[in-house]
Amino acid sequence: MIQTLIIGLGLAGYYALVAVGFALIFATLRIFHVAHGTVFITAGYVFWYMHRIHGISLAISATAAIAAAAALGLAIDRFLYLPIMRRGGGMFSVFIASLGIVLVFDAIYLVLTSGVIAVARTTSMELWTVGGAAIRKFDLGIMGLVALTYFLLYLWLHRTRTGLEVRGLTDNEQLAAAVGMNVDQTRNAIFLVASAMAGLAGVLTAYDGGITSDSGNRTLFIAVVAVILGGVRNILLGSITGSLALGIITAYAGFFYPEWVTFCIFAIMIILILFRPKGLFG
Amino acid sequence: MTSANSQLRAEGLSMRFGGVRVFEDISFTVDLGGITACIGPNGAGKSTLVNVVCGVYIPVGGQTFLNGEMITGTSTVEIVRRGICRTFQDVRIFPTLTAIENVLAGIPRQRGEGVLSAFTNFGPSERSNRNAAMSLLDDLALSGVASRPAGELPFGQQKLIALARAAATGARFVLLDEPAAGVELSLLPNIAKLVRRLTRTEGRGVLLIEHNVDFVRELADQVFVLQGGGVLASGSVQQVLNDERVIKEYLGRVYDA
Amino acid sequence: MDHLFYIATLMSVWIIFSLGANLVIGYTGLMAMGQAAYLGVGAYTAAVLNIFFHVPFPIAALAAMAVSALVAVATLLPLQRLEGFYFALGTLGLNFLFFDLFHNLAPRVEGSEGLYGLELPAFATGARNLFLSVLAVTIVSALACWRLDASPYGRALRATRDRPDALRSIGKEPRMFQISVWAVGGALAGLAGALYGATLFYIDPTLFTLNTSIAILVFIGVGGLASLAGSVLGPVLLIGFTEGLRYVGLPSTLTGPLQSGLYGLLLIVLMLFRRQGLVGKHDFRE
Repeated sequence: MIQTLIIGLGLAGYYALVAVGFALIFATLRIFHVAHGTVFITAGYVFWYMHRIHGISLAISATAAIAAAAALGLAIDRFLYLPIMRRGGGMFSVFIASLGIVLVFDAIYLVLTSGVIAVARTTSMELWTVGGAAIRKFDLGIMGLVALTYFLLYLWLHRTRTGLEVRGLTDNEQLAAAVGMNVDQTRNAIFLVASAMAGLAGVLTAYDGGITSDSGNRTLFIAVVAVILGGVRNILLGSITGSLALGIITAYAGFFYPEWVTFCIFAIMIILILFRPKGLFG
Repeated sequence: MTSANSQLRAEGLSMRFGGVRVFEDISFTVDLGGITACIGPNGAGKSTLVNVVCGVYIPVGGQTFLNGEMITGTSTVEIVRRGICRTFQDVRIFPTLTAIENVLAGIPRQRGEGVLSAFTNFGPSERSNRNAAMSLLDDLALSGVASRPAGELPFGQQKLIALARAAATGARFVLLDEPAAGVELSLLPNIAKLVRRLTRTEGRGVLLIEHNVDFVRELADQVFVLQGGGVLASGSVQQVLNDERVIKEYLGRVYDA
Repeated sequence: MDHLFYIATLMSVWIIFSLGANLVIGYTGLMAMGQAAYLGVGAYTAAVLNIFFHVPFPIAALAAMAVSALVAVATLLPLQRLEGFYFALGTLGLNFLFFDLFHNLAPRVEGSEGLYGLELPAFATGARNLFLSVLAVTIVSALACWRLDASPYGRALRATRDRPDALRSIGKEPRMFQISVWAVGGALAGLAGALYGATLFYIDPTLFTLNTSIAILVFIGVGGLASLAGSVLGPVLLIGFTEGLRYVGLPSTLTGPLQSGLYGLLLIVLMLFRRQGLVGKHDFRE
């Protein structure tokens, strides 16, 4: 049981890295960025391709993968979301276009990998046995990494000028709408930071269990439910608590009723939004 | 005199939002066939009064009676069904429907307006509804734009369409929230003509929320002045518009401006 | 020749599905993103009644319409509390819920993931006969939608889409129109689902996923919202294109991804350049 809990906490780490970026973009720009899952999976594939296929070192492959994710996230905003919003498209149009990105990339990855799972790791996982429970050191590493990332994010949001502007956007609907129309440093920074974190999660997932072309969607929707659960009033606290809950729920549900995991997640989502009919800010 | 059975009567209406008082102890009546006007400065709570009467807000005190029956606490849709319809200060027409479709949408209990009844022979009733809607548009000099999408028409015409749509509901009492505001002067006689048709010809009652004092003087039978959260004066148009306090407090400022 | 009939039948089925979705999304402005669930309910209802209870297929298809409409309304009622975008999100969740329901609870033929073995009546047996039967149903459905569009009911649907608050102010409850049109959309999805099973001769849960709901959005988005011609044009063009690729010998490992990639690209192009589609009378406003 402890084992399942630790697996859940490890999963929560991935979700938290994806969720916090999604929440950041949603809370500041009101963009429901489903293609965030595509950004996540792209980092995973870049990492897998460099490290596993070409044997490039772990550090270089991971850095390149995270940079690729950041660049992709920024490009999606600059060349898709912004033009749509400039032409009068609203939240729903941007969401539909975002789904379009997901479909296009899923198809590309499916063709390129022939649907085979891509595992970037070349060695086996080290286990730690504590009182009869086998715990993977990797899961503990993820937790440490997530804690460090959240700490840096906290510093960024609370100690830098850009971070201050980002937080200003979350409290102010009108300001958010105005910034939604302008390309500015803040908007770019939001997409870069959020996408880099999804990239880190993608690298870790590809290293750990491996990814397939539909991993992006799955992780993203779980992260979305985590965000809905935690709320976006406080981006950091909301996404970490939501992700912890979802990580533990999916780990245990996956252990006992693997065929009902998706059902559980989306039932939770629908019930949650029914209690917040006016959105995540209510 | 008209009896309480053919009246819209508000008694002691009070409204507050949170701790902020909008108005207190407002009473007025609208008789069938008559026009009661409500004037007052911006922010006096005139639109809120309409919203309270129409069931959008529930007043903190007081009641509204329609033909002697209390309607306070009833839903908006139900209030319209019982015979009180309103227009909005910021026109809310259906932009993709044509002008005449907007008016047609207002007609109650139409044949063919349900999934199943759409497959019955609604042709004859639709034709007579169309004639009725067209005659309303005619009165407003809008028959020329009847088949244009309402959203493409100028604001003033949209406002007239909303007026015709409210009239088309057949409601015995029509509450008009600043029908003349934002409308070109040349269109005002059309509004006046329609309001007279509703009251003098069809015997309905109109509550006219209005800013334009000349317009009120020309149309209304009774007036009450809403100011500072209460009724400053009420009575016949003659009385009220010549009342010294009203001239000093309200009309004076209007004329100065 | 049989293959051409098969493609034309598939187009007809998707036209029926599009007609219903367009009434809901295009005319009434409800952002429905879970229509695949109702398609699946219809397909499974008809297949189960026909295969296990030997109900004649036309009657099973009618039952599928009724069950889908009921399921549609039952799922709409709680979701009606949601506003705008969150409504879309809630309906999107339905795809995943119903996929797991089909996958875990729906009966399957031993040794397979899905159901097969439909017994079609004689007049609908064979590719040509099946096509003609489905085409007849499609024409009736299109005429019914045309009638709804031209009636006071269609006017009320468009008014609901434009300004629900204004509709309420003239004494008509927008929710009632939303519920009734959702039932019609569900019934047409159920009918399409039943016929889809008859066309493919095999159904399994993977036919009724988010991708299917997105496909219908692409069909009516490309064809045109709030337009009957749009509901016909979208499926004909897009199914014609992808089936054409298969016909000229593109391997089936590529047609699947190519189709969904193309749909994704079309969504992007639509949102960027032409939100009303080819012949639409309305666009994605939000």
